[in-house]
Amino acid sequence: MLIQLSGVSVRYRVPQERIPSLKEYAIRWIKGQINYQELWALRNIDLEIRRGEVFGIIGPNGAGKSTLLKVVSRVLRPTQGNLRVRGRISPLLELGAGFDPELTGRENIYLNGAILGYSLTEINASFEQIVEFAGLREFIDAPVRTYSSGMYARLGFSVATARRPDILIVDEILGVGDAEFQTKSFERIQQFQGEGTTILLVSHSLDQVKEMCSRAIWLDRGEILASGAADSVVDLYLQHMTQVEKDRLREVAKQTTDTPKIWGSRKIRLSNITLYNQDGQEQTIFHTGDSLLLQMDYDAREEIQNPVFGVAIHRQDGTHITGPNTALANFEIPVVLGKGKITYRISYLPVLEGLYYFSVAAVKHDDTEMYEYHDRLYPFRVINREGPVQEIYGLVSLAGEWSHQKIN
Amino acid sequence: MSYEYNSASLKPPFIRELLELWQYRDLLRLLVTNSIKTRYKRSTLGVLWTLLNPLLNTLVLSIAFQQIMRFDVDNYTIYLLVGLLCWTFFSQTTMHTMNTLIWGSNLLKRIYVPRTIFAVSVVGNSLINYLLSLIPLAIIMLFMRHPFRPTLLLLPFAILLLGMFTLGLALFMSTLAVFFVDVIDIYGVLLSALFYLTPIIYPVSFIPARFVFLIELNPMTTMVNLFRSLIYYGELPSLGTAVAAISLALVSLVVGWWVFTKRVDEFAYRL
Repeated sequence: MLIQLSGVSVRYRVPQERIPSLKEYAIRWIKGQINYQELWALRNIDLEIRRGEVFGIIGPNGAGKSTLLKVVSRVLRPTQGNLRVRGRISPLLELGAGFDPELTGRENIYLNGAILGYSLTEINASFEQIVEFAGLREFIDAPVRTYSSGMYARLGFSVATARRPDILIVDEILGVGDAEFQTKSFERIQQFQGEGTTILLVSHSLDQVKEMCSRAIWLDRGEILASGAADSVVDLYLQHMTQVEKDRLREVAKQTTDTPKIWGSRKIRLSNITLYNQDGQEQTIFHTGDSLLLQMDYDAREEIQNPVFGVAIHRQDGTHITGPNTALANFEIPVVLGKGKITYRISYLPVLEGLYYFSVAAVKHDDTEMYEYHDRLYPFRVINREGPVQEIYGLVSLAGEWSHQKIN
Repeated sequence: MSYEYNSASLKPPFIRELLELWQYRDLLRLLVTNSIKTRYKRSTLGVLWTLLNPLLNTLVLSIAFQQIMRFDVDNYTIYLLVGLLCWTFFSQTTMHTMNTLIWGSNLLKRIYVPRTIFAVSVVGNSLINYLLSLIPLAIIMLFMRHPFRPTLLLLPFAILLLGMFTLGLALFMSTLAVFFVDVIDIYGVLLSALFYLTPIIYPVSFIPARFVFLIELNPMTTMVNLFRSLIYYGELPSLGTAVAAISLALVSLVVGWWVFTKRVDEFAYRL
């Protein structure tokens, strides 16, 4: 076992008001008025990470991911519990954090190397290789304050990975420098892994975690909510995120006054918008190619002739995927008064992985009056691993068919 | 380099920090040489300036005080410079250590290094500056025909004691400074008061007898007396001064190191 955390908790004591001065502090101390708010950044974490493993840590901001990395890299000592680490750690946290801008690249290689705990002999032995890898040979005797941010990061990465560490801590930095350098640095990390380095990866890119990690944990408010195979942990996390988004939007949907999310003359009100899978179960996570049924309840306050009901799908980044409605489909609804239900069935959901939102609307037949519009209030997530469709490129799967024949 | 770390079964912080510092000795050496390099890179006069600075300072002060106050001191310039160099070492080191630790907090929050390394490197840097400033002192002594006595051979011990005393206090003050931002300002004021409570620009005989105890309570008086007896008077220090200097150095370093290392794990939470 390379890294072992048993019952690790980290507590920050935040003074309820900031008491920055000694004078203030003395006064309050005498009065016995120092109140701390205790903030547990990590609670009772048990974790074992093996040699050569790529281990992912996911979770929302403020979940304690960075705190966990700091505990492992010895910057923070746990308030409770025990950490055991066997091996040399190299953190790729903020590259070049130890650089002195006035010193040359050469001098900074030595300085940063020493900060990482390398001896002078070790740095001497790796010096040429560091310069070569960073591609900074012509600039090595210039002060690093003259470097671009890309050069800075390249030098930082090259020093931090000059020798193979037993544990490499990676915090969201796999985007250093240009494409060529990214490839190079990625290859180096993979090579380390092949030679037995354990990699601890914190990333907001869940795809990256799925792709690189064998195991992962999902942290939230300092606690491990799930741990195990990276794929399943990421899926659980996604499911949870969708639910959170749904709950948030459900709150918005309860508003009765006009908001940017809901507006219209309210002659027809829409409610209980629900998504179902092919088995008629309520669901918010689908696979590409699944069938999906959207149902909405309406309540018409007055008699309305030929109303038009529509839906729209937007992807999270704002791309408008589709916008069907009853009029375009020549589906005529002669008259509505009081309550009723509208459903829209998709037998083959064509969109690829991502987070999507349904909008729903009821409009007058000639498009001159919006009765009610719910803008992107109903999220659903599409994942396509383990589903019927494995496509990953572009926006949609057209369910096309391939054929092949030889011509002699 | 030991690769085994277990946060529960660690040695006491007092000892642990010493061992860690030893492991990072290459970094310590680099921090010292780099701070000297960056300093001389910026100024065109370079090393010359370190030599010139105390000379010019002494010139100003010795003209001012010798002409105005008319102290009855032979070779007043040397008397003054010996005390001033000792004081400068002390005040600049303690002040600079506090600032360096606050400055170095950026690094301390991201990566593990032994946290005493900043204070120790500042002391190392000041030692080098002190040794360099002995050159202009020697020139003045030659120029004024002040005798060089064999007691000068004991100077390394005096420097060691001053270094230990200063490092201890610097560690103690920076521990405070991490927790309270106004400590640096308060300390600045205290320093300037302490300067006048130390017989640097005046001889103790100048002070009315009923205030002498104030001056003698001041640890820097002991340090300045120690240096003066070795360089200026060319005599062995009195037993009282020697014992006081050794105890001050030991107590300061042990207490400072103990307080700093006891609190050191909280720094990353506070900085």
